[in-house]
Amino acid sequence: MRLGEQSRMNASINITPLVDVVLVLLIIFMVMAPQMKKGPDVDVPDTSKPSSQGDERGRILVSIDEGGGLWIDDQQIAPENFGEALQTAVGDEPEPKVVIRGDSRLNFRDVRQTMLLIEQAGFRGVGLIAQRAEARGN
Amino acid sequence: MQFNTGSDSSFQSEINITPLVDVVLVLLIIFMVVVPLLMEGYDVDIPRASAAPMAAQAEESQLILSIAPTACPIIEPLAGEGLPSDCRVTLGDQKIPAAELPARMAEFLGGRAVEKRVLFLAADDSLNYEGVLRIVDLAKSGVEGLKIEFIGTH
Repeated sequence: MRLGEQSRMNASINITPLVDVVLVLLIIFMVMAPQMKKGPDVDVPDTSKPSSQGDERGRILVSIDEGGGLWIDDQQIAPENFGEALQTAVGDEPEPKVVIRGDSRLNFRDVRQTMLLIEQAGFRGVGLIAQRAEARGN
Repeated sequence: MQFNTGSDSSFQSEINITPLVDVVLVLLIIFMVVVPLLMEGYDVDIPRASAAPMAAQAEESQLILSIAPTACPIIEPLAGEGLPSDCRVTLGDQKIPAAELPARMAEFLGGRAVEKRVLFLAADDSLNYEGVLRIVDLAKSGVEGLKIEFIGTH
């Protein structure tokens, strides 16, 4: 008896290993995704049409948490050290851009004061981070 | 019809990894494209505290939008979407409902050259940040390429 003589030919691709790998990748990204977001937990305001804030290069992320605390990337900064810390974060970046990720429960006062601090560090404009309202299933 | 081809070919015990590699590369590309774009928001200008911010523009072409807590009650964090229906803002010297903002903005600034489309925004300190951003959103939706400059309320 010759090998393969009796078996039916199976023309479909075996997708089991493919599904394995895709699921593992999915799990890896699900685990990684929360860590890829820098900074504290912030409830970003929902609006209808925010525009893209460029890519990561040259972007300095300033977060303001619910209590009004200031963060640059992952580090909490006291307001009096903020200018210095911002300069350090800028480094020798050719085209720095500061974006503010403020909590939606803040008063405008906190955000305005942060903008003034950023202005004192020599920046003319900032980006205010928001998220599209539809992204929350609305 | 009988399939006899199988009997001739040598038995292949290796997994065909070509579709797998395809899928992995496509996923990689998707994530490389999506991750830097995750952040969205609004570009705004902060005037220098020292310099007079409005000297650059002629007096009559300045458009000032002011939001007062008495006219637009967005003090507390907002529940749900949009702005309260009784929210009124002052655009130039007119008091208008916030919902009319896109149309009015287009009326005021739509005819100007793109680089002259500037709105000065005076928002009260006590307002909720999300509410202010939603008004910024409304103003930007009415006019293409609008620049927004925050000015102090006092």
